[in-house]
Amino acid sequence: MNLDMRKWSSIMQDHQKIKQYEEKVRQLDSVLGCFLSFQPDIKPPIANAEMGNIPVAVKDNIAVRDMPLTCGSRILENLKAPYTATAIHKLQQAGASVVGKTNMDEFGMGSSTENSALGKTVNPWDTGKVTGGSSGGSAAATASGIVPLAIGSDTGGSVRQPANFCGVYGLKPTYGSISRYGLTAYASSLEVIGAMSYDLQLLKVAFDVMKGIDPHDQSSVSAPSSITAPGQSKLRAAVLKVDSGALDANVSQSYTQACQSLQKNGYSLEDVEIPTMKYVIPAYYTIAAAEASANLARYNGMRYGKAPNHAETPGQLMKKARHDGFGAEVKLRILLGTYVLRSGFQDQYYGQAQKVRTLIRQEISRIFEKFDVILMPVFPTQAFSCGGTDMDSYQQRLADVFTSLANLAGLPALALPTGHADGLPTGVQIMGSAFGEDQLFSAASAMAEDFPLQAPPNFLDIGDIR
Amino acid sequence: MKYDVFIGLEIHIHLKTQSKMFCSCPAVYGDEPNTNICPVCLGYPGTLPQANRFAMELGYRVAHALQCRLSERTLFARKNYFYPDMPKNYQISQFENPIGEDGHMVVALPESGERSIRIHDVHIEEDAGKMIHAGADTFQDFNRAGFPLLEIVTEPDLKSGEETEAFLRDFQRTIRYLCVSDANMDEGSMKCDANISINHPGKGLGTKVELKNMNSPRFVRLGINHEIARHSKVLDEGGEIVQETRLWNENRDITESMRRKEESDDYRYFPEPDIPPFCPDREFMQKVEESLVELPLTIKKRLVSQYGLTLEQSEFLHDDYERVKLFEDTVALGATAHNVAAWLSSDVKKILNRDSINIGDSSLTPQRFNQLLALIEDGVISGKIAKNVLDEIFKTDTDPQEIVKKNNWAQITDKEALTTIIDKVLSDNPQVVQAIREGDHKQRGWLMGQVMQASDGKAAPEVSAKILQERL
Repeated sequence: MNLDMRKWSSIMQDHQKIKQYEEKVRQLDSVLGCFLSFQPDIKPPIANAEMGNIPVAVKDNIAVRDMPLTCGSRILENLKAPYTATAIHKLQQAGASVVGKTNMDEFGMGSSTENSALGKTVNPWDTGKVTGGSSGGSAAATASGIVPLAIGSDTGGSVRQPANFCGVYGLKPTYGSISRYGLTAYASSLEVIGAMSYDLQLLKVAFDVMKGIDPHDQSSVSAPSSITAPGQSKLRAAVLKVDSGALDANVSQSYTQACQSLQKNGYSLEDVEIPTMKYVIPAYYTIAAAEASANLARYNGMRYGKAPNHAETPGQLMKKARHDGFGAEVKLRILLGTYVLRSGFQDQYYGQAQKVRTLIRQEISRIFEKFDVILMPVFPTQAFSCGGTDMDSYQQRLADVFTSLANLAGLPALALPTGHADGLPTGVQIMGSAFGEDQLFSAASAMAEDFPLQAPPNFLDIGDIR
Repeated sequence: MKYDVFIGLEIHIHLKTQSKMFCSCPAVYGDEPNTNICPVCLGYPGTLPQANRFAMELGYRVAHALQCRLSERTLFARKNYFYPDMPKNYQISQFENPIGEDGHMVVALPESGERSIRIHDVHIEEDAGKMIHAGADTFQDFNRAGFPLLEIVTEPDLKSGEETEAFLRDFQRTIRYLCVSDANMDEGSMKCDANISINHPGKGLGTKVELKNMNSPRFVRLGINHEIARHSKVLDEGGEIVQETRLWNENRDITESMRRKEESDDYRYFPEPDIPPFCPDREFMQKVEESLVELPLTIKKRLVSQYGLTLEQSEFLHDDYERVKLFEDTVALGATAHNVAAWLSSDVKKILNRDSINIGDSSLTPQRFNQLLALIEDGVISGKIAKNVLDEIFKTDTDPQEIVKKNNWAQITDKEALTTIIDKVLSDNPQVVQAIREGDHKQRGWLMGQVMQASDGKAAPEVSAKILQERL
């Protein structure tokens, strides 16, 4: 499973081995399409590197100096980042080497990576299925063994859902715990930088390296000291009660298996209902679209990015740049977002959604008074087919319900794999209270024994590199 | 005035900070275009704003000085609109809970005397870039994008162009006193837009017209008065005012309708998610309190009551805070108030203007000023020589006493020495002496002139006159 970090380190420091690695990746990636740009470079090793001199793939909406920053969109297809995101900079200082930028749904909008305007990524388990999204390229790059760690972003499930579809661990940390400086904004109050890996311990190290207050991001926060104090064992798990028929058979079965595994590991389980769950999707899409309409306004071809060669007026230039540069899903969300902010409607839509969001937070908060973690599904189905035949875009949006909850509440959640069924991965999600990432790791760690990892058919084994 | 007039102002001032409002780029004028820029103020993907704490302090200082209710939890908001010079196509500004609300400023206005003009709110925001038109091309300079701006909005309490000009000048003075901005309308560190409406008496506010592009307090007066006249004419003829934005054309002395913008002004304000609410702590508020200064109108009155100056002298002094400071510090050392005021408004003013010197960092310290005046009072130098000494103070940055010594400018008061000089003058000009003795007293002045010339201007006038009289 390519979990030998020293092996990775030896490849990254050897000219010959890096060349072999690059060859193998290009071959595999011609099938999978994980990367929009790939350029492994030999780097001088850092002594006592926390990250151990390993290669890392970064989603193409996160800035890495001098590397492309396309966000999967035509409007930025010629842009190279003039700076590096704080979180990535920290990883680099700890020894990680960014070898490429991964494909994604345009500007983070989507749950399949099929909304990318610049490439197509397929699932390493079945190339006729999607990787999930929007961090599909990162999930596939990790699942296929190309990198031991990949960085993504999670606005409504965009790290956890593709991790789930591709059979790897995917962490969405507490809102504000990792600096957003360098993460192209889609929905500022909802999104976080996250990470994926087969290796839980590596994931934990990556989180510890990336987290922390950043003066560049005034919304960044650090854990209050009360959280880090050692307490009594935290083994009370709430299990979200899901309507029968809401989940596919395989997903439903893996949900049951996850419960059993937790129980076996000493957790006490209790079913919970979250009545405000039914408002999650309307609230999420209203808030996300509103913030997106403002966050994407800057893309007008004036200062960077793609612009038409000629226009009669500045207004025309902007219109043309955006019309040609944005895909349909992006345009839809911008229009929706502009609408819900309009004077006369704002209170009714955006204002109301924020109030609903507060209610949702309060309800979750009450649950965490009695429980330490909440178990819930990630997505109603396993990876669906490419081309939208199984699930159209509307259905895909509705299905974000289980993941968007953590974004609305600003809480950490970890997607963990629970084996396979019908040739595709299954998995579940554990949600924790603010800054409760440690509990997520320990629960997942306990359950790992029951769900041994398996490599997908499309896999690059670094054991072959000598 | 047949109609009630309502004028409200929206004033923008550039705050005097080192860095821009949301990034650490230098906030300076005049540098080469696009040299003070970074990914943040250019709106690159992934960048986030970092609120400038010193700018917040200056904002609270102004709001406090304008007697506003200060916010304990002030919020930033996004004001959304598209324009080529907007890096993000939204401006980070304030909407709900601005820094200060419901304040007032007492101003001495022509015609109506002292009046309190209500301040609706004081809020902070960032400036956009600059577009420069050159022939068929338009260039964009983003050096100014992200500059910290403070917007002060008044209620429609002003009633004429004259009142507005007076208010603006006092407002400028206040802002400069507070050291938060240069508040120069011609340099661009202060801008003023006006909202004007008129109506039949007692009917409340009329249809308002927004007036822009007035680049000095004088133009504000002219523009407003022009608009009032224009509105009056429309109402006189039974017509209706069109609500619109008009621009003052300073070349033609008229207002003109602005080309209509396609988009309506729905800014879709919502709270800025990237910046948490700003809650000033005790330390912050203490700094704000400590930086408050006595306001211009109060100083003007005090200069008259405390020092016995004339209103004219007081007007002149209070126009520049540094002037007041120099005046008071010099008087505190013992100089006579009237003398200090007189010198400041004549010879000192002349030199400062001639050499474009800022009084605040000039060589004329209170100590030197006091010394100079003392030298005159003690008769060490004449008033005429004192002017030269003053000039030398600025030229050489040394003390008056040293200058007098170095140039040997001390008055000659010694009777013997003077007598020698005078006798020589008399003997050189026998016809004039004869004329005076025969009754032509006017020639006396000419003789004194000769005495002065012969003594390089150092003959002490009074003593010399006495001796001259004796010798004649």
